[in-house]
Amino acid sequence: MSAHAVAKVLDLKGLPCPMPVVKMSQEINSVKVGEIIEVHTTDPGSLADFPAWADTTGNEVLETKQREGSIQIFVKRLK
Amino acid sequence: MEENQKKELLELFADKLTRAARLYLDNCTRCGVCIEACHVYQSMPETRYTAVSRAQNIRRLYEKYFKLSGKIAPWWNEAVELDDAWMDRVWETAYTCTGCRRCMTFCPFGIDTGLIQSIAKLLLIGSDREPKVLTMLADVSISKGRNIEATKKSFAQAVRNLEAEVIEKWRSEGGEEAVPLDVQGADVLYVALAGKHSIVPAAAIMNAAGEKWSLSYFEAVNFGAFVGNPKKTKEIAQRIIDEAERLKVKEVAICECGTAYRVMKHMTGKHSFNVITFVELIARYLREGRIKLDKSKIDARITYHDPCQIARQGGIYEEPRYILKHLTDDFVDLQSNRRASYCCGGGGGLVIMGDKEFRMKSAKVKVDEVKATGATILATACENCHSQLSDLMEYYGLETKVQFVSGLVADALVQETASRKVPAATSEEPQLQLTAKAG
Repeated sequence: MSAHAVAKVLDLKGLPCPMPVVKMSQEINSVKVGEIIEVHTTDPGSLADFPAWADTTGNEVLETKQREGSIQIFVKRLK
Repeated sequence: MEENQKKELLELFADKLTRAARLYLDNCTRCGVCIEACHVYQSMPETRYTAVSRAQNIRRLYEKYFKLSGKIAPWWNEAVELDDAWMDRVWETAYTCTGCRRCMTFCPFGIDTGLIQSIAKLLLIGSDREPKVLTMLADVSISKGRNIEATKKSFAQAVRNLEAEVIEKWRSEGGEEAVPLDVQGADVLYVALAGKHSIVPAAAIMNAAGEKWSLSYFEAVNFGAFVGNPKKTKEIAQRIIDEAERLKVKEVAICECGTAYRVMKHMTGKHSFNVITFVELIARYLREGRIKLDKSKIDARITYHDPCQIARQGGIYEEPRYILKHLTDDFVDLQSNRRASYCCGGGGGLVIMGDKEFRMKSAKVKVDEVKATGATILATACENCHSQLSDLMEYYGLETKVQFVSGLVADALVQETASRKVPAATSEEPQLQLTAKAG
């Protein structure tokens, strides 16, 4: 159970580089400012990509969890 | 278009006017030999999709602003004003072309349309019209380089999570890490992509070969090059150069990613290390008997797509074929191969940009060639090509499976029980011919 109030879940498992970040970039505007998107990905590079994307676009990665077979990332839209 | 912006764009244009660029812009005789060379024109025969037409979009601006004839008699060479409407034509030059340079190999003057295309891309950046997704990805790469310490720990953990999959393909020796990071003095720094498909097979192969290697913290792909921004291209590449110099590696092996290889090999100057493609490394292991492959693992006809950036623009033609002939006795080339290979249609950033309809239609010529081989496996050595070719096979309903060379090799590794060293290649084995052949 997630501690975050999630507005949208994106299942990006299996998508090759750099599509997880591309999809995230496309979807961020589908939630309101302040809302949270939960992302599931299998790309190990996402662990570095998502914080860098958030830094570049002015959004925030709240939490990252590594689970067996996938990575869970919580992203808050800040602007 | 405001005068200020026009002035800025013309300054950007002027910066690109090297001696070579002027030569290419001045010398076209409109012979038309390049027309049939383009995969887009072959698949969608419209004048705007010819190499010469795309180049003319830039050449006519050059005539207007940088040639005396264009200033005094603009009608003479069809000189045009730089305005908002013409920027649509500039876009066509930049993004209906994948930068594969097949046209260049047929041009009797060797006109580098890629260089002319780079002017178009720079004008689009200067007028804020470039594909934003490519700029965003370039910025993400740069940000990672600036803040690597923040992500090193989690990346290392993610890599540790892949090690079981690597060991499944090739056992790990006692005390060794299956995916080593930060190995000072490694012989090879392997630069992968973010996906595990780019890390797991390569790790298994290098471990099987007994290589002293290290995985880079950075992804190989360079989105600065896709969007045509020289400053960002350099900054993204520099992250890897700094890492290679810090670790004092002998070689940087770029994963199966064409643009990454071309940038590192040909666009970043001289280094203290050698730059090779991963397929070259695999071919070396086979040649030296450091890995052995089981041909019985694959019961299929295999063909190979030459990635433009590795093959035509990088000269790597024979190594992948040499590898594939260790995997099957039923290898068949596409009709247009090696230097004459048609682009997959996904290069130049197109595979990321989203116009799937154009990508699919413009590459039909490639699909027809794949179909004609009867191959059930289409191997390639580039991520971009792999994505595009997979989309093409699905779109046109072909059963042919697209696979990376490294993936095929990793699945066919012979697990040695006594020693990891195997006898050197015999004369019966496929011989690596390093002389490039035109198809």
